[in-house]
Amino acid sequence: MNGEELTEQETALYDRQIRVWGADAQRRLSKSHILVYGMKGTVAEFCKNIVLAGVGSVTLVDDREVTDEALSANFLILPDENLYHGKTLAEVCCDSLKEFNPMVHVSVEKGDISTFGVEFFGKFDAVVISCCSLAKKKLINQKCRKLSKRVAFYTVDCRGSCGEIFVDLKDYKYSKKKLEETVECQLEFPSFEDTISVPWKALPKRVSKLYFAMRVIEQFEDAEGRNPGETSIADLPGVLKLRKELCETNSVNESQIPDALLERLLIGASEYPPVCAIIGGILGQEVIKAISGKGDPLKNFFFFDAMDGKGLIEDISEPKPVS
Amino acid sequence: MADAAPPSKSRDLDKLLLRPGNLVGPTFDPGVQLRDDLQEYARVLVVGAGGLGCELLKDLALSGFKNLEVIDMDRIEVTNLNRQFLFRLEDVGKPKAEVAAKRVMERVSGVIIVPHFCRIEDKDIEFYNDFNIIALGLDSIEARSYINAVACSFLEYDSDDNPREETMKPMVDGGTEGFKGHARVIVPGVTPCFECTIWLFPPQVKFPLCTLAETPRNAAHCIEYAHLIKWDEVHSGQAFDPDNPDHMKWVYDEAVKRAELFGIPGVTYSLTQGVVKNIIPAIASTNAIISAACTLETLKIASGCSKTLSNYLTAMISTVKTALCRYNGVEGLHTKVTEFVKDKDCLVCGPGVLIELDTTVTLKK
Repeated sequence: MNGEELTEQETALYDRQIRVWGADAQRRLSKSHILVYGMKGTVAEFCKNIVLAGVGSVTLVDDREVTDEALSANFLILPDENLYHGKTLAEVCCDSLKEFNPMVHVSVEKGDISTFGVEFFGKFDAVVISCCSLAKKKLINQKCRKLSKRVAFYTVDCRGSCGEIFVDLKDYKYSKKKLEETVECQLEFPSFEDTISVPWKALPKRVSKLYFAMRVIEQFEDAEGRNPGETSIADLPGVLKLRKELCETNSVNESQIPDALLERLLIGASEYPPVCAIIGGILGQEVIKAISGKGDPLKNFFFFDAMDGKGLIEDISEPKPVS
Repeated sequence: MADAAPPSKSRDLDKLLLRPGNLVGPTFDPGVQLRDDLQEYARVLVVGAGGLGCELLKDLALSGFKNLEVIDMDRIEVTNLNRQFLFRLEDVGKPKAEVAAKRVMERVSGVIIVPHFCRIEDKDIEFYNDFNIIALGLDSIEARSYINAVACSFLEYDSDDNPREETMKPMVDGGTEGFKGHARVIVPGVTPCFECTIWLFPPQVKFPLCTLAETPRNAAHCIEYAHLIKWDEVHSGQAFDPDNPDHMKWVYDEAVKRAELFGIPGVTYSLTQGVVKNIIPAIASTNAIISAACTLETLKIASGCSKTLSNYLTAMISTVKTALCRYNGVEGLHTKVTEFVKDKDCLVCGPGVLIELDTTVTLKK
């Protein structure tokens, strides 16, 4: 977008949301660049929300081919084989997203994201990754953290009727409204690697069981060399064995991570459309807050389980030393 | 059981329905039969094709519902496009219900969506009785009251004042404003109806005339003075048209003058439009979340039932003690789930109060 002021077209189109977050936030959004990896249903929802919000650009990375499975939860893909044949997931989603808001620059980046250098990530204000192995999550997070500029980092994953978001904003200064006045705040976010290294025993007992269950499945996929989401009920014995080991190492009771929950996550490797919409909506909101620098960000994990309909925020970080 | 079932396109939904799970009630009987019922027999009406309606249609279609209808009396405007993602710039002026239905059918194979471009009051009461579930994406209390009254009118009680299950018409109600929203389930006769809980809504802003006329304190007072009092004084006879930019500009100029007189800051053209048209600030993400929550509730209702409502009733009582779920995206995040109790004296959904009246008594008395 040229110039500092919003154009007349933007002011008309964004009227209803400018009334929510103000013209200043809208300007910042229109200058922001978002990188998105892994175009499954949840990420498709997220992209819809930020494109409608009017970010500057969205760059999509996903070289996988379109499959029947992708069609069932991804609204961006028209179920016409003639249209999607020969195209990658990113390419098909790109075409759709452009229609939602012609003012947003939507493009595709091809290649293996693990090989992209630090400077590549430096082009973005926010990086959102999904369908990523444990190793890839750590790697991309580290690259983002190496930059002096703050690049907001998010992972998002849905397994069946459960979803998880992780947020890393490094050292984050922002403002928020408290009663009549505006207050300046600051938060320090741990990296993904540091977060998952926090000993389980150090965490409060009431921490969402989903946190632990997701970590078990994640490590199982890592140990077995599986692509993210490539699990089935046949893996349950192996997963239960890993749970036993991890709980012993962490000195916590195995009942912290119920069998039934692990089963649901193993079977539900594909996504449940309403859960995609909820997680994609929450993630959209978080990215908008981070770009505009207003409002308390989610720190640092969010969990949703469609069974009870509850959304939980968990702050998984090293407990502060008692002075 | 799962091995015998023919594979379906929506494998993840199959996994949900083809094995017993906690998402549905104790009487739920999983099987291929039920999955086909869900897709072929469940008829859902979506009321409103705006911010919530567009999201609802998408979510319901992707979740496997095959028979949807949508009703909305409005045409598409530019200011809708920041969240009503089924509409494009070139659709401005067209009926929302028709474009929404068309776009979703293009993107989800197998779903049939019948649009109705009209007011909700224009339909016969019996039209609403045709549906198993009514999902609401409305933006006013009046519209909700109306649908609530219609749905509750189908409810019958037996001689012991117990609601008859087969006459219950469940509604799933979503509402949003800015970062805030709610999703709730209403089963007439079981949960509180909309009227039972109307006190939950924040008081609607209506300024006392004396404040407008004598003692304005803020910008909105100045605007409403110009809109509700000064306009008629100067334009006696001519109705104020909020869609006429000249009328709006006149109100704005008058509001500015009044604000200057009383030393009140903050009157802008944007605020003038907002106050006069009662504009609700709105963003895509809140609508997406609330609609999805409504869809989850609709799925729970539908998958708990076969062709009558009786099977899912017990499911309703256990899963929907959570009658109200609230979302607030600005102060961190709350999804709070609260239990409410039906008001047995409610005039709309209660069995009624027996009045024995002497037929010689007239209203005057």
